[in-house]
Amino acid sequence: MSAPAPDVHDKIVVSGFRHFFDTADGSVQATDTVDVRIRAGEFVTLVGPSGCGKTTLLKAIAGFIRPTEGTIHCDGNLVRAPGRERGVVFQELAILPWRTVRKNIGHGLEIAGVRRAERAQTVSRLIELTGLVGFEDRYPHELSGGMRQRVAVARTWAADPDVILMDEPFAAVDAMTRLTLQEELARLCAATNKTVFFITHSVDEAVFLGDRVLVMTRRPGRIKAVIEVPRRARGGRNWESFTADPQMQGIAEQVLRLVRAERGAGPANEEKPARAAGATT
Amino acid sequence: MSATAAPTGVRPRPGSELSALALAGLWRMVRWLKILVPFAVLVAVWWAIKASGDFPDNILVSPLQAWRTFVHLVSHGVMAEYASTSLTMIGISALISTSIGVPIGFAVGVNRYAAHSLEGFLRFLQGISGIAWLPLAIIWFGFSHTTTLVIVIYTLIVPIVFNTMIGVRAIPENYVLALRSLGAGRMRLVTDVYLPGALPSIVVGLRLGMGYGWRALIAAEMLVRKGGLGDLIFGARTFGQIDRIIVGMITIGCLYIVVDRLLVQPIENVTIARWGLLRK
Amino acid sequence: MSVPAAIMRRPAHNALGRLVWRLLPAVPFVLILLAWAIGWAVFHPNKATLPSVGDVLEVVWTRARDGELGTHIFASLWRLLLGAGVGIVTGIIGGFIAGLYRNVSEFLNPLVVFFNAISGIVWLPLMIGWLGIGTALAVFLIWNTVFFIVFQNTVLGVQLVPEVFEQGVRALGGGRFETIRSVILPGALPYILTGIRSGLGFGWRALIAAELVGTPNGLGQMIFAAADYHRSDIIIAGCLIIGAIAIAMDRWLLLPIERRTIERWGLVIDATREDRT
Repeated sequence: MSAPAPDVHDKIVVSGFRHFFDTADGSVQATDTVDVRIRAGEFVTLVGPSGCGKTTLLKAIAGFIRPTEGTIHCDGNLVRAPGRERGVVFQELAILPWRTVRKNIGHGLEIAGVRRAERAQTVSRLIELTGLVGFEDRYPHELSGGMRQRVAVARTWAADPDVILMDEPFAAVDAMTRLTLQEELARLCAATNKTVFFITHSVDEAVFLGDRVLVMTRRPGRIKAVIEVPRRARGGRNWESFTADPQMQGIAEQVLRLVRAERGAGPANEEKPARAAGATT
Repeated sequence: MSATAAPTGVRPRPGSELSALALAGLWRMVRWLKILVPFAVLVAVWWAIKASGDFPDNILVSPLQAWRTFVHLVSHGVMAEYASTSLTMIGISALISTSIGVPIGFAVGVNRYAAHSLEGFLRFLQGISGIAWLPLAIIWFGFSHTTTLVIVIYTLIVPIVFNTMIGVRAIPENYVLALRSLGAGRMRLVTDVYLPGALPSIVVGLRLGMGYGWRALIAAEMLVRKGGLGDLIFGARTFGQIDRIIVGMITIGCLYIVVDRLLVQPIENVTIARWGLLRK
Repeated sequence: MSVPAAIMRRPAHNALGRLVWRLLPAVPFVLILLAWAIGWAVFHPNKATLPSVGDVLEVVWTRARDGELGTHIFASLWRLLLGAGVGIVTGIIGGFIAGLYRNVSEFLNPLVVFFNAISGIVWLPLMIGWLGIGTALAVFLIWNTVFFIVFQNTVLGVQLVPEVFEQGVRALGGGRFETIRSVILPGALPYILTGIRSGLGFGWRALIAAELVGTPNGLGQMIFAAADYHRSDIIIAGCLIIGAIAIAMDRWLLLPIERRTIERWGLVIDATREDRT
């Protein structure tokens, strides 16, 4: 399955990516060969069972780890280190507890040297878009988990990176808030047209949010399927219409089956991989 | 009573506002009493022991006598002189220790190998208290303020470096990664992440250090005999002036509490409590 | 802009990496020794000011051989045992009483804060008059130091035992004594152990200070007597031994105790770690 040549609309090109970790039990293979292409303006979701290596892939794209094999390019440039063109939204512990909401959101702009007046404008706009009005001067510890994630999202969006990488950003939030955040994210993307790479282990979330859903096998993961989700308006997306739409539900079922097939083979992908795998790869 | 919240739409009558104020004032008085009463009891017990037992004045003096000595020392400026020497010493030591110790702690903390390497060494130094180095310091610097300063700085710097180090190491990696993905360079990381992140631990280190340091200071002053409250009480020993010793001890205790509560704790409150990082 | 090592590289998990990791703590010591030896060879300072590494080693060897070092060490440890022993017992008992009865702890709190501020060596001038110079004085100063630390930690531990646990035992029909025995004592144990560990560290330091002034023997006294004769080789040797014992005591006595009890019961509490330094 050799990939066609990259073209000018590709934001992220992952080519031949394979990664191994050093652990106390020897070398562990985190992913099998992965090729991914993300085009400008796309919202790509990656779904797979726990431990399949999706976070590893995201970290490599972000520049936090250097791939054992393969290359990653962003806008044609080789990715070697973190940088502001690839923003990251973490699951938790990301926004700084010693800064107010306002200062957290404006942090990227501050680093980039944007003037205060312009900064304030962007920050205000994002506060409105993410529903944080009234909380501008609060500190993170005064906010709920959901609010904190809104701040994290707002911060990354404010910095206007070329690509936004999201590492299961809503996984640590309660179920109800999670649904709200997903809808809000969809609206935010409609208003701002960004390129997003979003990993999750919730199939519904992946299909609800994504234009393209990549399905990863269990560890060591590779992309086993790419499901196109027909373009639909992001602005009005909500869970009621999603659950009522038979086409969407069909796609969700299809993805679920693909993912489920991975889980079926037993505890190998949940337990400590080194021990289960026995011999080192 | 009228101190409770008035129903909406009804402004409290002037009378009830006064009662509210009176109640608040009463509460404050009660809190002060809670602090003073135990000491009053202590003094009473003290007085009783002295009065009932047959203790000569060179073993124990009465509270009244101690008070008189205190007044005497204060009015003649003696107390001020000794106390200010001690306070100056601890102040200078704190400044120097912090300005040297925090950067070192940082430099070591950011690198896990350096941190692991230095940890055991710092614990070792802590085991050899500053006071144990006194004889050596006396040989090198004689009976001088330099000796005292060296010992107190040593005592203060170890917990400051140690706590700065673990403060830096305890910063969740995500903060650093998140900032790097926002384009932050090394300098930014230090000012925006490492410094504020390590601050709680640094403050704890400072507080601990001040506790050890104050004690080391008194001990050093006792041996060096060049002024300070330690000198006061040790000197008084030679002349059997128990009243002076007791007054000196009480002053030492009170001054430490004042410095800790009025100086260090506010720093803690303003920064850490505000950021919600205090584990109270 | 290079990525810091802490992010890009993990400590190697192969055998060599592990060995290096184990040896790292020795590096500062080795560096100091090297600097000392080299500095000495280059500058040749006065022996009274700074002895050579060899001098110090020789001191240790000769004194150990003729038993003098052993005498000092045992004398010091014995005093520590006495003072700390009494301090721990009284601290725990006092701490329990104060912890269990709110009025008592509220009443005592200002006093404890105050006496804690003057604990240890500040009592020296007064106590010399009452106890004279010698072991009694040293033991008192150690007791004083250890007591307040253990007391405060015990009170904290007792007060922090979740009420739910106590209620559970009551619901099973347990009385006051049973509650204390099976709930509060084990519940407060992490804090108590931290207090003991901290207290012993402080106590050891206070002991040296006490011995500096007046005991017939002991490591502190050994150092102080050497100062009179400008024997810095003895002083340095003594200091190093003091530090070594402090570490040995903490690592091989206290840490295992802590591990075997509270870590095994999963009761490790983060907040108390601050007391470690």
